[in-house]
Amino acid sequence: MTKFFMTLARAMAVLGGVVLTAIMLLTCLSVLGRGGNTFLHWESFEALAPGLSARLLETGIGPIGGDFELVEAGMAFCIFAFLPLAQISGAHASVDIFTSYMPERFNRVLSALWEVLFAVALVVIAWRLYEGMASKMRYGETTFILQFPIWWAYGASFAAACVAALVGLFTAAVRVMELATGRTILVTGEAGA
Amino acid sequence: MSNIEIGLWSFPALMLLIFLRMPIGLAMFATGMVGLGLINGGNAVGLAKLKTETYSTFSSYSLSIVPLFLLMGQFATLGGMSQALFRAAESWLGHRRGGVAMAAVGACAGFGAICGSSLATAATMSQVALPELKRYGYSGGFSTATLAAGGTLGILIPPSVILVIYAILTEQNIAKLFLAAFIPGILAAIGYMITIAIYVRINPKSAGTRPAMPMAERFRALVDVWPVMLVFLAVVGGIYLGWFTPTEGAAVGALGTGLIALVNGGLRGRAWLECFYATARNTAMIFFIVLGAAIYNGFLAQTQVPQELSRWVLEQGFSAWTVLTMILVLYLIFGCLMDSLSMILLTIPIFFPIVSTLDFGLGPEEFAIWFGIIVLIVVEVGLITPPVGMNLFVINSMDRETPISRTYGAVMYFVGSDILRVILLVLFPGITLGLLRLFH
Amino acid sequence: QEVTLKMHQFLPAQASVPKHVLDVWADKVEADSDGRIKIERYPSMQLGGKPPELVDQVLDGVADIVWTLPGYTPGRFPSTEVFELPFMETNAEATSRAYWQLAEKHFMDTEFGDLKMLGLWVHGPGLIHSSEPVTEPADLNGVKLRAPTRVTNQLFTGLGATTVGLPVPAVPEALSKGVIDATVIPWEVTASLKVGELVKNHTEFGDASLYTATFIFAMNKDKYEALPDDLKKVIDDNSGEDFSAFAGKVMQDYDAPARQVAVDLGNNIIELTPEQVQVWRDASAGVEKAWVEEMSGRIDAQALVDEARALIEENTK
Ligand code: NA
Ligand code: NA
Repeated sequence: MTKFFMTLARAMAVLGGVVLTAIMLLTCLSVLGRGGNTFLHWESFEALAPGLSARLLETGIGPIGGDFELVEAGMAFCIFAFLPLAQISGAHASVDIFTSYMPERFNRVLSALWEVLFAVALVVIAWRLYEGMASKMRYGETTFILQFPIWWAYGASFAAACVAALVGLFTAAVRVMELATGRTILVTGEAGA
Repeated sequence: MSNIEIGLWSFPALMLLIFLRMPIGLAMFATGMVGLGLINGGNAVGLAKLKTETYSTFSSYSLSIVPLFLLMGQFATLGGMSQALFRAAESWLGHRRGGVAMAAVGACAGFGAICGSSLATAATMSQVALPELKRYGYSGGFSTATLAAGGTLGILIPPSVILVIYAILTEQNIAKLFLAAFIPGILAAIGYMITIAIYVRINPKSAGTRPAMPMAERFRALVDVWPVMLVFLAVVGGIYLGWFTPTEGAAVGALGTGLIALVNGGLRGRAWLECFYATARNTAMIFFIVLGAAIYNGFLAQTQVPQELSRWVLEQGFSAWTVLTMILVLYLIFGCLMDSLSMILLTIPIFFPIVSTLDFGLGPEEFAIWFGIIVLIVVEVGLITPPVGMNLFVINSMDRETPISRTYGAVMYFVGSDILRVILLVLFPGITLGLLRLFH
Repeated sequence: QEVTLKMHQFLPAQASVPKHVLDVWADKVEADSDGRIKIERYPSMQLGGKPPELVDQVLDGVADIVWTLPGYTPGRFPSTEVFELPFMETNAEATSRAYWQLAEKHFMDTEFGDLKMLGLWVHGPGLIHSSEPVTEPADLNGVKLRAPTRVTNQLFTGLGATTVGLPVPAVPEALSKGVIDATVIPWEVTASLKVGELVKNHTEFGDASLYTATFIFAMNKDKYEALPDDLKKVIDDNSGEDFSAFAGKVMQDYDAPARQVAVDLGNNIIELTPEQVQVWRDASAGVEKAWVEEMSGRIDAQALVDEARALIEENTK
């Protein structure tokens, strides 16, 4: 079980990483295209090789249209896809200045409590995202430039949010079990991921 | 309970949850949702907000530089570039006590200026700099405190988003605000350098030193890092020269470091995956806090607490200087739990029109600029004052070996330097306005 | 008071529309209801979210009243785009009146059916603000330009610019960070968003209006339906065609002082001659044709264009 969910969370992180890499490449290509376009419009170059400049411009050398909205849509997916790993490896920032003086048992109760709440939050987030997607679908909303339906982007994020909710539920179950049995099942921190 | 009371109670409630080790992002999210439920008489409004607000928070073009720079940091670490950079910095500065920490503060300031978010700056820089600072013998608490403080410097360096927003809200000239921020920004950097020097004298064990390296070796260390330097210079220079946006710069930087890591052989199989894992963990951590803050701040706006408190301060009939002091204290307190941008958006429209009628012996434009610079600095100081400071929490959680009490201890020196600087700027408006008077 | 309504919008409180249109409306409603209606004003997206979410917020009851652009949610209110076609507008007052009339006739109960519309208007003639001077369409090639809506994005993409769709409050940040080098907005907004300090060139199209953008000022329908009849009447009496025309007129009235700000800053204001404007007309002629073709599946687009034009003509004295 633990292995399955860990693999799932890691797979999502890798998927998000691949999308992030794609965003990176797309953005670089766009910068390159824009640079090329500026160069071809540069007066000295146009004077030097007028035919070549015009012909190259006609091939459409320039920034990638709609790169902005692709980055936004991709980024939302990435972050939802990164949530499962953060959840299962306990990467969320918290403050243990007072709790570190408390007994172990007390800390386990807290861990279980917060993890259960977190799971509830993630389930609610996924559910509401679904409602958001349904509404975007119903109203046929698109992006500005590429005009792809917004709900596609919501849909991708929703899928990742579902995995996050699932992994959140699992992590919560583990913390409750740790509380009940007193054993450590899931190690947090970098060692755990 | 009235909305205001609910809003006021949310502060202690949130702090309690945070000190009971509830993840910070979740604590803000939960407090915000429950609060919205209480003031709207049901959870319909909160749930309706969530339909679009998670997606819109996560799909931010300007914040997308965070995961890209985190990825760049991972590539730089794996490709040995961070080590090489710090080795170079150390070969030049290592014989000076605290030298490498000073270099890290400088790097934080530069990054913060580009990024615009102190929180994201601190988190991103820690990923690269924390392990290296420790490698050179810096204590955990001193390292985290240095980076948390360094992250707040960016606000004074153009293109500062918050300065632009302040200019819009108060109808001031953006260029003049940028100009006025210059000297306070330099003062902040110098103040932190002195702070570091003092800290390492008082706590000699907190920073390693070794004999000065011969010049030949220093230059050799520089030669080793030329590819990374090239990438970093291209990124930072390109952004400042307007070749690309900060997000595009982050993408170029990630690609550049990724390629160098590939060539160096640092990116093979598992290592590549480890990059993604680390990026994933920290990105999700930061963005969940951003989400929590968005929900909590939206709730707070609806309770009208920031607005009403601002009005209350103004209605007491205090003297001009008392009002100013109270405002600054209020910002320091709000700064603990709210993000700078929301705070400015909620309170400046109320404070500004009234405060600007009080007499501080300045013309209306000079007052607006002076007040703005001071408020923005104080808002950022709130991020690093113990016990509640968002920057402290985030960086400390990236360093699991260091208890937060250590960070608290060390950061007080930086807070001290901040408060000293704010007092100076308040007492001598000429420091802020000097350049302005010279050029206009 | 009996009813508290949350009014949410994206511009700072002192910008001309919040101050001279929305506050005027809200004050009047509060007074006419003898204080039984209270309108809480939340400028600058204080209640959270980004401007494109305003429509969802008023539909779902996160806010009770919003002011926003249909163009921020492309595809949702396709008929409004007819007023955004190049060189459609004469002046904002007449065009706003025509916008309300056309909506009443064709899409108040369909596309706007889920909302209680309080006002529909357009801004004054839109123009180009850029870091490098723009006099002819060719000058736009490779320029990163922000446009507010789907149709305007199509227009400027067609003219050779690299368009970025951004809500207007994001413009100052985008200009200062170099995310964009140019933006189109009417004069009126440039003053409150400091555009004249961020770019130095402004291209005006004489008497013509290269483009305009449509606005909606809308209320949550359930919230409206739940009001007692006399309060409904207060809302209704202050809303509708005359209010829309008033709002359009106010927006255009504030163009002149904002233009003066740019003049005082010593900025370069490029006033195109009728011949130069004709070049822009020719270059953008395809947009309307393409729009009609694209919409033909959903609405009778050609008829809508003709009717809109006739109504604008009729209302323009
Ligand atoms: Na900040
Ligand atoms: Na604090």
